[in-house]
Amino acid sequence: MRPNFPVRLGPAEDALIAQLKSVGADQAAERVTVAGLPTRRVESYHYTDLKTLLRTIPPLATAANEASAPALRVPGAYQLMIANGVVQNAATAPAGVIVGKTHGGVLTNRDDLLVNVSNALTKDTLTLTLEGSVDPVIQIDRRTEGEAGHVADAVKIFVADDASAVILETFSGSDAAHVGNHATYLSLGKNARVTHITVNLSPRATTHFATNEYQLGDGSHLRTLVIHAGSNLSRTQVYPRMAGANAHADVTGLNLVSDGQHADITMETLHAVPHTSSKPLFKSITRGRSKAVVQGKLIVARDAQKTDAKFMHQGLMLSDDAEILSKPELEIYADDVVCGHGSTCGKIDEDSLFYLLSRGIPKPEAETMLVRGFIAEVLDPVEDEALNEALNGVVDGWLLANEA
Amino acid sequence: MTTPVLEIRNLHARIEEREILKGVNLVIPQGQVHAIMGRNGSGKSTLSYVLAGKEDYEVTEGEILLNGEDITGMEPAERAAAGLFLAFQYPIEIPGVATMTFLKAAMNAQRKAREEAELTTPEFMRLVKEAGAQLNVDSDMLKRPLNVGFSGGEKKRAEIMQMALLKPSLAVLDETDSGLDIDALQVVAKGVNALRDGQRSMLVITHYQRLLNHIVPDVVHVFSDGRIVESGDKDLALQLEAKGYADFDGQAA
Ligand SMILES: Nc1ncnc2c1ncn2[C@@H]1O[C@H](COP(=O)(O)OP(=O)(O)OP(=O)(O)O)[C@@H](O)[C@H]1O
Ligand SMILES: [Mg+2]
Repeated sequence: MRPNFPVRLGPAEDALIAQLKSVGADQAAERVTVAGLPTRRVESYHYTDLKTLLRTIPPLATAANEASAPALRVPGAYQLMIANGVVQNAATAPAGVIVGKTHGGVLTNRDDLLVNVSNALTKDTLTLTLEGSVDPVIQIDRRTEGEAGHVADAVKIFVADDASAVILETFSGSDAAHVGNHATYLSLGKNARVTHITVNLSPRATTHFATNEYQLGDGSHLRTLVIHAGSNLSRTQVYPRMAGANAHADVTGLNLVSDGQHADITMETLHAVPHTSSKPLFKSITRGRSKAVVQGKLIVARDAQKTDAKFMHQGLMLSDDAEILSKPELEIYADDVVCGHGSTCGKIDEDSLFYLLSRGIPKPEAETMLVRGFIAEVLDPVEDEALNEALNGVVDGWLLANEA
Repeated sequence: MTTPVLEIRNLHARIEEREILKGVNLVIPQGQVHAIMGRNGSGKSTLSYVLAGKEDYEVTEGEILLNGEDITGMEPAERAAAGLFLAFQYPIEIPGVATMTFLKAAMNAQRKAREEAELTTPEFMRLVKEAGAQLNVDSDMLKRPLNVGFSGGEKKRAEIMQMALLKPSLAVLDETDSGLDIDALQVVAKGVNALRDGQRSMLVITHYQRLLNHIVPDVVHVFSDGRIVESGDKDLALQLEAKGYADFDGQAA
């Protein structure tokens, strides 16, 4: 047990405590006062010590006056926008989409600072109810504009029984030291089919925190993809709850980090009932002095027999100074399950590179082809062509930006 | 006299401090096919890698001229653009890279390096279709990632198909015949012979005289311990087959 001495609080914690108190979240404020920001001694923050990484927290964001261009355009997508935590008016929704607005946090309470802060600070909440087979890609464009601000925003999505939808969330905004705390709660009804993609494209000065919570009903299929391609510090927490028999989740993610960046995907999947499966597959690519973290925890409840789950994290180091860190954890209370984990880490394969070079393909192009090949496993399953192209564009943009 | 397509002068090369090539001299005039035969481990693949410019190998002495141009210090991609092609002894599988994407990138990269216009998609498709038909590479194979799941023989056919598409001035074929069934051998030989136009030249590395019945060489060289120890006409291959290497390199079998 940790000795119960008072921790020394820094300016980030002081600011956070004051902000939590200002919205009446005294309990959350009290927890920060007692424990401070999570350090590496907190298991789920082992590689992302917020006490060291998060030195300041800007004032709570106020409504945005102007908005920059959308960070990512997907032709044909239905766009919704949340700017500085405020849900914006939307265009007429396509068939099967009901857009609404409510107030307050959306995440199930748990012993986690970012979840607590999200629930405490979220004011405006965008709600979506999806029915039938929703045709266009739904894009939720989350922005943080203007002066540096601490912003909490949230989306709650209900996907009806037998419905299908593709949802893209993008995060971007002005180049200031924002701290974003973004939440999504997504519940899948019976036999629902959902692809949910979150892409952080925020400028480098920002800090990006996000939590994606999923509730999967009987026979539902979820594909999630987290892409970190912005912010000096980013962490996305992914919490799928496999709550219906024959539910399946492909939980995927991609950390693209360059010099000076730290990106963390922390997954905790709960297999709560018998006969569910999940396939967590994460990839990290690093350049310069940077750090990519993937933590993956699989929890199998006592009666969740026949659970089938395998966690995989593959790293590709494009420089010698980067670190790729993996932490798989299995917490299994049932006895008839197939669970596993694996991690690999390497550089670009010299023989593969030579093969491409020997056919006359110049080195930068050959490397790009191999990096794309490395990522293909997580991007290829995104079937919508325009969306797939947009995501490949994000990867190419990252590769090009770092060639110099 | 016209410039030879390949001229290797006193080539020495090493890998990880170990000298493998110990003074190779070889001239291949325009339009000729030369065969190299030699014991396992004598350095034949090493020679092919050094020609193609693989990074791990260090050339310590000598030079390589391709169509009169010194390519010894060139990057592998530049050599390819200059007209060199290596059909690998063990073609590698590259998951995640689509075969068609790769072929198009390779053809266009070489075109670009030679300041030619890039291929349009229909032009590209037509060329691939033609080459595929000629070498029994079906469209199913082309839909897969590069070489992934190809059988040994399929990989070799795919190499020759790439050669047919890239039309090099010098093709180095490293044991392209090994692993091929009798019919595939004929298909490959036909593909190779189709490129023989009196201008292009080839260096064919093989262990088996059989291949040389299909791809008839102008000169046969015996390779031993990092150098060429004997050269002759195509009958040399028959003699080798009959007597073994000991008569030529003085080493015990
Ligand atoms: N990375 C390496 N480090 C040290 N020695 C090596 C390395 N790669 C190859 N060699 C050695 O170089 C020598 C020549 O190998 P090479 O592959 O060129 O032979 P080869 O003539 O092509 O043989 P084969 O007929 O079996 O294909 C061998 O003795 C091999 O062990
Ligand atoms: Mg060899």
